[in-house]
Amino acid sequence: MSFREKSLWVMLLGLAGASAFYSYNVASVNQVLQPDIDWRAMSVLPPMVGLFIAAVVVLVVFSVVGHAVMAIVDRRTGEDERDRLIALKGEQIGGFVLACGVFFSLWLAVISSGNFLFTHLLLAFWVLAQMAEYIAQLVIYRMER
Amino acid sequence: MGKRGGLIRNRIRDLRESAGGMTQQELADAVGITRQTVNAIEANKYSPSLEVAFEIARVFKLPLEQVFQYGA
Repeated sequence: MSFREKSLWVMLLGLAGASAFYSYNVASVNQVLQPDIDWRAMSVLPPMVGLFIAAVVVLVVFSVVGHAVMAIVDRRTGEDERDRLIALKGEQIGGFVLACGVFFSLWLAVISSGNFLFTHLLLAFWVLAQMAEYIAQLVIYRMER
Repeated sequence: MGKRGGLIRNRIRDLRESAGGMTQQELADAVGITRQTVNAIEANKYSPSLEVAFEIARVFKLPLEQVFQYGA
Protein backbone atom coordinates (compact mmCIF):
# COMPACT_ATOMS: atom_id res chain seq x y z
CA MET A 1 0.00 0.00 0.00
CA SER A 2 1.42 3.38 -1.00
CA PHE A 3 1.86 6.35 1.32
CA ARG A 4 -0.99 8.09 -0.52
CA GLU A 5 -3.39 5.19 0.16
CA LYS A 6 -2.43 5.10 3.82
CA SER A 7 -2.97 8.86 3.99
CA LEU A 8 -6.47 8.41 2.53
CA TRP A 9 -7.25 5.75 5.15
CA VAL A 10 -6.09 8.09 7.94
CA MET A 11 -8.27 10.92 6.61
CA LEU A 12 -11.26 8.61 6.15
CA LEU A 13 -11.02 7.14 9.66
CA GLY A 14 -10.40 10.57 11.19
CA LEU A 15 -13.41 12.06 9.44
CA ALA A 16 -15.62 9.11 10.43
CA GLY A 17 -14.50 9.36 14.05
CA ALA A 18 -14.92 13.14 14.28
CA SER A 19 -18.36 12.93 12.63
CA ALA A 20 -19.49 10.19 15.02
CA PHE A 21 -18.22 12.23 17.99
CA TYR A 22 -20.07 15.34 16.80
CA SER A 23 -23.32 13.55 15.85
CA TYR A 24 -23.58 11.67 19.14
CA ASN A 25 -22.97 14.77 21.25
CA VAL A 26 -25.27 17.02 19.21
CA ALA A 27 -28.07 14.47 19.55
CA SER A 28 -27.50 14.41 23.32
CA VAL A 29 -27.50 18.23 23.56
CA ASN A 30 -30.69 18.37 21.50
CA GLN A 31 -32.45 15.87 23.74
CA VAL A 32 -31.61 17.94 26.81
CA LEU A 33 -32.14 21.48 25.50
CA GLN A 34 -34.86 21.07 22.84
CA PRO A 35 -36.70 17.88 23.92
CA ASP A 36 -40.28 18.57 22.84
CA ILE A 37 -39.78 21.03 20.02
CA ASP A 38 -41.15 20.37 16.52
CA TRP A 39 -38.26 19.09 14.38
CA ARG A 40 -38.94 21.73 11.74
CA ALA A 41 -38.48 24.54 14.28
CA MET A 42 -35.17 23.39 15.79
CA SER A 43 -32.26 25.79 15.74
CA VAL A 44 -28.51 25.43 16.11
CA LEU A 45 -27.58 26.12 19.74
CA PRO A 46 -24.32 27.70 20.99
CA PRO A 47 -23.07 24.41 22.59
CA MET A 48 -23.28 22.78 19.15
CA VAL A 49 -20.87 25.35 17.75
CA GLY A 50 -18.45 24.43 20.52
CA LEU A 51 -18.90 20.74 19.69
CA PHE A 52 -18.22 21.45 16.02
CA ILE A 53 -14.97 23.21 16.89
CA ALA A 54 -14.04 20.28 19.15
CA ALA A 55 -14.75 17.81 16.32
CA VAL A 56 -12.54 19.81 13.94
CA VAL A 57 -9.75 19.81 16.54
CA VAL A 58 -10.14 16.02 16.97
CA LEU A 59 -9.91 15.57 13.19
CA VAL A 60 -6.84 17.79 12.83
CA VAL A 61 -5.01 16.15 15.75
CA PHE A 62 -5.82 12.64 14.47
CA SER A 63 -4.64 13.54 10.96
CA VAL A 64 -1.40 15.14 12.14
CA VAL A 65 -0.55 12.26 14.50
CA GLY A 66 -1.55 9.65 11.89
CA HIS A 67 0.61 11.22 9.18
CA ALA A 68 3.52 11.66 11.60
CA VAL A 69 3.39 7.96 12.53
CA MET A 70 3.15 6.98 8.85
CA ALA A 71 6.16 9.14 8.00
CA ILE A 72 8.18 7.45 10.75
CA VAL A 73 7.34 3.85 9.84
CA ASP A 74 7.15 4.20 6.05
CA ARG A 75 9.08 5.93 3.31
CA ARG A 76 7.10 8.87 1.99
CA THR A 77 6.62 8.69 -1.78
CA GLY A 78 5.87 11.68 -3.94
CA GLU A 79 2.77 12.24 -6.00
CA ASP A 80 2.78 11.52 -9.72
CA GLU A 81 0.41 11.93 -12.68
CA ARG A 82 -1.60 8.80 -11.82
CA ASP A 83 -2.16 10.00 -8.25
CA ARG A 84 -3.37 13.36 -9.57
CA LEU A 85 -5.80 11.71 -12.02
CA ILE A 86 -7.17 9.45 -9.28
CA ALA A 87 -7.56 12.48 -6.98
CA LEU A 88 -9.46 14.32 -9.73
CA LYS A 89 -11.83 11.37 -10.21
CA GLY A 90 -12.42 11.26 -6.45
CA GLU A 91 -13.13 15.00 -6.38
CA GLN A 92 -15.58 14.57 -9.25
CA ILE A 93 -17.56 11.96 -7.30
CA GLY A 94 -17.36 13.98 -4.07
CA GLY A 95 -18.53 17.08 -5.92
CA PHE A 96 -21.59 15.25 -7.20
CA VAL A 97 -22.51 14.09 -3.67
CA LEU A 98 -22.02 17.64 -2.34
CA ALA A 99 -24.20 19.11 -5.10
CA CYS A 100 -26.99 16.65 -4.17
CA GLY A 101 -26.58 17.70 -0.53
CA VAL A 102 -26.86 21.40 -1.36
CA PHE A 103 -30.04 20.70 -3.33
CA PHE A 104 -31.66 18.69 -0.50
CA SER A 105 -30.53 21.21 2.12
CA LEU A 106 -32.08 24.11 0.21
CA TRP A 107 -35.31 22.15 -0.08
CA LEU A 108 -35.23 21.52 3.68
CA ALA A 109 -34.52 25.21 4.34
CA VAL A 110 -37.72 26.10 2.49
CA ILE A 111 -39.95 23.76 4.50
CA SER A 112 -38.43 24.33 7.97
CA SER A 113 -38.47 27.46 10.12
CA GLY A 114 -35.44 26.61 12.28
CA ASN A 115 -31.91 26.36 10.95
CA PHE A 116 -30.88 23.10 12.68
CA LEU A 117 -31.97 20.65 9.97
CA PHE A 118 -30.71 22.78 7.10
CA THR A 119 -27.32 23.29 8.73
CA HIS A 120 -26.87 19.67 9.73
CA LEU A 121 -28.06 18.17 6.46
CA LEU A 122 -25.56 20.40 4.68
CA LEU A 123 -22.84 19.37 7.13
CA ALA A 124 -23.75 15.68 6.77
CA PHE A 125 -23.54 15.88 2.98
CA TRP A 126 -20.21 17.67 3.20
CA VAL A 127 -18.90 14.81 5.33
CA LEU A 128 -20.45 12.25 2.95
CA ALA A 129 -18.90 14.02 -0.03
CA GLN A 130 -15.47 13.92 1.58
CA MET A 131 -15.90 10.25 2.46
CA ALA A 132 -17.10 9.45 -1.06
CA GLU A 133 -14.01 11.22 -2.42
CA TYR A 134 -11.66 9.20 -0.21
CA ILE A 135 -13.46 5.88 -0.78
CA ALA A 136 -13.57 6.39 -4.56
CA GLN A 137 -9.82 6.98 -4.62
CA LEU A 138 -9.13 3.93 -2.45
CA VAL A 139 -11.32 1.76 -4.71
CA ILE A 140 -9.53 3.01 -7.85
CA TYR A 141 -6.12 2.34 -6.29
CA ARG A 142 -7.28 -1.22 -5.51
CA MET A 143 -8.73 -1.77 -9.00
CA GLU A 144 -5.60 -0.56 -10.77
CA ARG A 145 -3.22 -2.66 -8.72
CA MET B 1 -9.34 6.65 -12.08
CA GLY B 2 -6.28 7.00 -14.18
CA LYS B 3 -6.42 6.62 -17.90
CA ARG B 4 -7.37 2.98 -18.14
CA GLY B 5 -5.04 0.82 -20.10
CA GLY B 6 -6.33 -1.52 -22.75
CA LEU B 7 -5.12 -0.97 -26.26
CA ILE B 8 -1.65 0.17 -25.21
CA ARG B 9 0.68 -2.72 -24.38
CA ASN B 10 4.25 -2.57 -23.20
CA ARG B 11 7.38 -4.67 -22.68
CA ILE B 12 8.56 -2.96 -19.53
CA ARG B 13 8.76 -6.12 -17.40
CA ASP B 14 10.90 -7.90 -20.02
CA LEU B 15 13.07 -4.84 -20.48
CA ARG B 16 13.65 -4.54 -16.74
CA GLU B 17 14.79 -8.14 -16.62
CA SER B 18 17.05 -7.58 -19.62
CA ALA B 19 18.53 -4.58 -17.89
CA GLY B 20 20.07 -6.74 -15.18
CA GLY B 21 16.97 -7.24 -13.09
CA MET B 22 16.12 -3.59 -12.61
CA THR B 23 13.45 -3.30 -9.92
CA GLN B 24 10.17 -1.41 -10.31
CA GLN B 25 11.40 1.02 -7.67
CA GLU B 26 14.62 1.71 -9.58
CA LEU B 27 12.67 2.39 -12.76
CA ALA B 28 10.19 4.56 -10.86
CA ASP B 29 13.02 6.61 -9.34
CA ALA B 30 14.68 7.03 -12.75
CA VAL B 31 11.45 8.26 -14.35
CA GLY B 32 10.11 10.26 -11.41
CA ILE B 33 6.93 8.30 -10.74
CA THR B 34 5.85 5.96 -7.96
CA ARG B 35 6.51 2.21 -7.88
CA GLN B 36 2.75 1.64 -7.82
CA THR B 37 2.40 3.51 -11.11
CA VAL B 38 5.13 1.39 -12.73
CA ASN B 39 3.25 -1.69 -11.55
CA ALA B 40 -0.05 -0.40 -12.97
CA ILE B 41 1.61 0.39 -16.32
CA GLU B 42 3.22 -3.05 -16.52
CA ALA B 43 -0.14 -4.69 -15.79
CA ASN B 44 -1.74 -2.59 -18.58
CA LYS B 45 -4.09 -1.04 -16.05
CA TYR B 46 -2.85 2.48 -16.61
CA SER B 47 -1.67 4.19 -19.77
CA PRO B 48 1.02 6.76 -18.97
CA SER B 49 1.23 10.25 -20.40
CA LEU B 50 3.47 10.82 -23.41
CA GLU B 51 6.08 12.46 -21.17
CA VAL B 52 6.29 9.44 -18.87
CA ALA B 53 6.26 7.01 -21.82
CA PHE B 54 9.20 8.85 -23.41
CA GLU B 55 11.04 8.92 -20.08
CA ILE B 56 10.61 5.15 -19.68
CA ALA B 57 11.87 4.56 -23.21
CA ARG B 58 14.83 6.82 -22.51
CA VAL B 59 15.76 4.81 -19.40
CA PHE B 60 15.98 1.67 -21.58
CA LYS B 61 17.71 3.62 -24.39
CA LEU B 62 15.09 2.43 -26.89
CA PRO B 63 12.67 4.17 -29.25
CA LEU B 64 9.18 4.61 -27.82
CA GLU B 65 7.59 2.08 -30.18
CA GLN B 66 9.90 -0.68 -28.94
CA VAL B 67 8.62 -0.19 -25.42
CA PHE B 68 4.97 0.60 -26.06
CA GLN B 69 2.73 -0.86 -28.74
CA TYR B 70 -0.69 0.43 -29.67
CA GLY B 71 -3.45 -2.01 -30.55
CA ALA B 72 -1.15 -5.01 -30.51
